[in-house]
Amino acid sequence: MMNRIWGKTRTILPLLLWILLFVAVWEVGALLVEASKRTPENVLPHIYQIIEAALNPKKVSSGESASQLVLSSAGLTLGRAALGFLVGTICGFVLALIMKISKIVEKVIFPYLMIIQMIPILGMAPIILSITGDINTSRIVIAAILTFYPVATGTLAGFNSVEKSKYDLMHIYAARKIDLYTKVLIPTAIPYIFTGLKIAAPMAITASILVDTLQGDKGLGTLLSQSLKHAMSIYVFWLIVFFSAFVGILSSKLMGNLERIVLPHKRIRVSRAKEESI
Amino acid sequence: MMNTMVRETREVEINIKDVGMTFRDNRGNDVEALTGINLNIYKGEFISLLGPSGCGKTTLLRMVADLLEPTTGSIHIGERLPREVRLDKKLGIVFQSPVLFDWRTVQKNVELPLEVMKFSKSERREIASSMLEMVGLTRFSEHYPNQLSGGMQQRVNIARALAVRPELLLMDEPFSALDEFTKEKLHEDLMQIWAKTNKTVIFVTHNIQEAVFLSDRVCVLSPHPGRLSGIVEVDLPRPREIAVKSSARFNELVLKVRNTFDGGSL
Repeated sequence: MMNRIWGKTRTILPLLLWILLFVAVWEVGALLVEASKRTPENVLPHIYQIIEAALNPKKVSSGESASQLVLSSAGLTLGRAALGFLVGTICGFVLALIMKISKIVEKVIFPYLMIIQMIPILGMAPIILSITGDINTSRIVIAAILTFYPVATGTLAGFNSVEKSKYDLMHIYAARKIDLYTKVLIPTAIPYIFTGLKIAAPMAITASILVDTLQGDKGLGTLLSQSLKHAMSIYVFWLIVFFSAFVGILSSKLMGNLERIVLPHKRIRVSRAKEESI
Repeated sequence: MMNTMVRETREVEINIKDVGMTFRDNRGNDVEALTGINLNIYKGEFISLLGPSGCGKTTLLRMVADLLEPTTGSIHIGERLPREVRLDKKLGIVFQSPVLFDWRTVQKNVELPLEVMKFSKSERREIASSMLEMVGLTRFSEHYPNQLSGGMQQRVNIARALAVRPELLLMDEPFSALDEFTKEKLHEDLMQIWAKTNKTVIFVTHNIQEAVFLSDRVCVLSPHPGRLSGIVEVDLPRPREIAVKSSARFNELVLKVRNTFDGGSL
């Protein structure tokens, strides 16, 4: 019992410490900014001011308070990010599978993957927008492209991590190719895929917000740029910053939890059986 | 004299004739791993391939398993080639590392080859359960491999190899990564399992005591190039217990094996 409480404290304590440190550094910065700038809220407001803005029911724009505005725009942006994320995951996995099956495809395609990864989103977004001609589709495509790369490389790394002895074993059993993939290669790759997903999830959200800023429509990014241009309270900007950071972390955590559901053996930490005699 | 006569009436299961193996190394030089191997292995026999690393013992085993093809000579299992026996799913293999699948329970690991071989669900469950019972792991059937000790993992590995009812059990240094106590326990267990199943076993090892304790015959291989230096017949009575290791006959046999070995440029 004591152990369990101690265990919980041990996981919560670093988090509390981290938050405390974050607040301290932020507030020191805010005090310095306050002393030197004319409009400190544009550079670095106090945290209590941001919280106040979040709780303030005063209507900011089109009959909604700051918090309501952020949340209603968030649905649109996050929905598209999630859709793009899903599409990117499926495409990434399928491409990795094809690259594993055919070495030639891998040699031809892999350099292109690297190039796509190196183009900054800000450069890629207008190109995608002019190709698709639609901001909604662009958001999904950009989120998909960003998800695609970590998933494809992760999956491929997973396939390539299978030891030679496992191939030997399947060879001895005269297993068919399909069994080799479904029973050995794909299950081995799953943890690697999740590593990719944990990186990709926050990226898809960030990208979706960035694409919003390109063209006035609804969505978090649009709201963000309006707020920055002082079309509405600057605190809306700060709320979005905090909100998207929070959702980004949450999305990554969510992938971690999903991984533990999919892979039951990852849940087991204490090996009871090992303690007993052989 | 008596022994030889008995042996001649025994049925030859594996015929290895003039087998040689040449690899090409990174620099493009040919390296002779094995040369001129002639060996008959009898049905139901426990035979060891013993030698230091580089003597080609694993290479020879891999050729019987159809994981490698000999560059010269031929191997026949019964009337058939290793490839035909493999495709007929009559081979069981145990590697040095347990090669278990982390995401499968112990039970599901043993069922894997049966899944590949299209056994029905109830058959799979039944066979796997009886195999786990044989290796004494019934209690752990729902555990995952990372919850088991090295010795237990190797038992699962053996259970899985036997699950397909192989004609031939191939073991490639299965116990060399285990501690001495676990190893001795598994030796005894393997002897019991072997007595029950009557499989032909080819056992690769670099441990002289292990080879003598387990085998009917010990094939001593020497390196550079890998070749068969001699075969030592082990006439210790069965069933054998650990105590036999302190008998005079056991030590004589160990010495005989040692003298058969030709180190050359080791």
